[in-house]
Amino acid sequence: MRYNHHYEDTQMNAIEVQGLRKTYANLFGRKRIRALDGVDIEVPIGIAFGLIGLNGAGKTTFIKTLLDIVQPEAGEIRVFGAHPESPETRRRIGYLPERLHMPPVWTARSFLKSIARLKCIHGPDDAIEMHLDQVGLTTAAHQRIGTFSKGMMRRLGLAVALLGSPDLLVLDEPTDGIDPLGQRDVRRLLEAERNRGATIFINSHLLTETEHFCDRVGILHHGRLIRQGTVSELCKGSNRWLVRFTPHADTEMFTKHGFIKANGANEWWFESSNLESLNRAIDRARASGALLDGLRPDFKELEEILAETVEKNP
Amino acid sequence: MKPLLSVWIDLLKEASERRWILAIAAGITLILLTMACALQLDVVDGALAATRFFGKPIRTDIGAVDQTLRPLFEAVSDLLYYGSLTIGIFVSADFGPSLLEPGRIEQLLALPLRRWELLAGTFLGVLTLVLVGNLYASLGVTAILGVKTGYWTVKPVASALMATVAFISLYGVILATSLFVRSASISGTAGFLLFIAGIVASFEKEVAGLFKPGIGRVFFEIICVPLPKIGSLGVFSQDLGYVSLPDWLQVSRLLLGHVLFGGACLMIGLFHFERKDF
Repeated sequence: MRYNHHYEDTQMNAIEVQGLRKTYANLFGRKRIRALDGVDIEVPIGIAFGLIGLNGAGKTTFIKTLLDIVQPEAGEIRVFGAHPESPETRRRIGYLPERLHMPPVWTARSFLKSIARLKCIHGPDDAIEMHLDQVGLTTAAHQRIGTFSKGMMRRLGLAVALLGSPDLLVLDEPTDGIDPLGQRDVRRLLEAERNRGATIFINSHLLTETEHFCDRVGILHHGRLIRQGTVSELCKGSNRWLVRFTPHADTEMFTKHGFIKANGANEWWFESSNLESLNRAIDRARASGALLDGLRPDFKELEEILAETVEKNP
Repeated sequence: MKPLLSVWIDLLKEASERRWILAIAAGITLILLTMACALQLDVVDGALAATRFFGKPIRTDIGAVDQTLRPLFEAVSDLLYYGSLTIGIFVSADFGPSLLEPGRIEQLLALPLRRWELLAGTFLGVLTLVLVGNLYASLGVTAILGVKTGYWTVKPVASALMATVAFISLYGVILATSLFVRSASISGTAGFLLFIAGIVASFEKEVAGLFKPGIGRVFFEIICVPLPKIGSLGVFSQDLGYVSLPDWLQVSRLLLGHVLFGGACLMIGLFHFERKDF
């Protein structure tokens, strides 16, 4: 289980949201779409929180309400204990929107300088060069943004979010459009940001990425936060462990020691709520001549958890 | 104030990179160069003796320079005033919608600046752009005519400044429209309609005479009341050197009217912008 030390050490939340509601209406207010329906979320300082859900679940609306880009009809939002409308609060936030449009006539470097000015960062040149390097845009720093590919735009957007070393990074689909090696670089970069102590709030469709990177995950469906918890809490299927031994002729021996045959060759389930009984069973099997080849808890993929959750809440 | 200044600086920097704004600046330079090279004014003992354009003589009565050149200065003032307003509408119509482009506005609103600062910075940036363009053209004309005739006047510059103040009302409408409908063409059209309406409203009495007495005329007169009197200011800008004190008071009222109209439009736009979701 990967907990960041900040998570357990601090009482302060980076994000506190209670009863958040948002309904979009057309011009005459007839067609109403409820995007958020009473969302409560607490994100402690220093952790990585992933918000997942299907298209139209309300994820982007939620992120926008966090930054006061969308104004909720009800609910309370606190970012580092203050209202997100305050420029002082927003100075502590780095944001990467899902959709990016940056002035095409600017170069990457001049655009970052402009953002640094707007963020009131003094002497930003070194930081700009560092972030350009971090996102792999050093060689393209002098190019006009209009000539950038989607992936390069995303990288520049990430550099914008990182500028000023914010305490909270709110990233909407951070690796969208970035090539696989670039995605790996982004993950490393975000790891470094988390190690620096930044809180990271990610909205991503890439569930494997969320599962591997985030400490906590929330599932948003039809504007409601249906489930949330640590990745291990959500993905833990049962108290079973999948044990793999090297090929062994005496299958009855395994059954005698409490193992139940699993689908894979030489794989066995062992149900145990504590590690002592699991270890005792494995020791007995090893004493009978079996060699342990692998062991893992009965974990479900986040994709499976999302599918189950959505099916239960149509 | 710092974020507002940053938005203002960014808008000017962005404008300086836009090709068609550079093309307009090049066009103004070309007109000034043509004027400098092709217009020949022969002044003898303070009187304009001959005028040639591209070497061809233009019929001019011999007389004192300031009197003889009066029609030329009036034409220059008209050109500067109406030309700068027209060009200003087309140049500025895109700034609001470009700022509100999805993907850009979210990024801006997440920065530590308030919405009003974003709007005010954009408004002031565009006004500065128009002012710089107007001053460039008017100072250029003033310098060319001054060097050629020895007669120096600030009338073209004053016309350019009046045009900039008149542009406050036009850009107020353009920016407010773009906040409601993110479209450069609709915003520009709104500005252009106000430009036409502002000229018509300046000649309210003459135009009202075309209506039969009754509801139609009253309706027209009521509509004209709040409109900025763009044509009236244009008339004053034509011959600034010849207006009397009461006229100056009227000029001040007109200028103030433009500022108030533009400010009111901006306030309506801001009211909407502050509540708008992106």
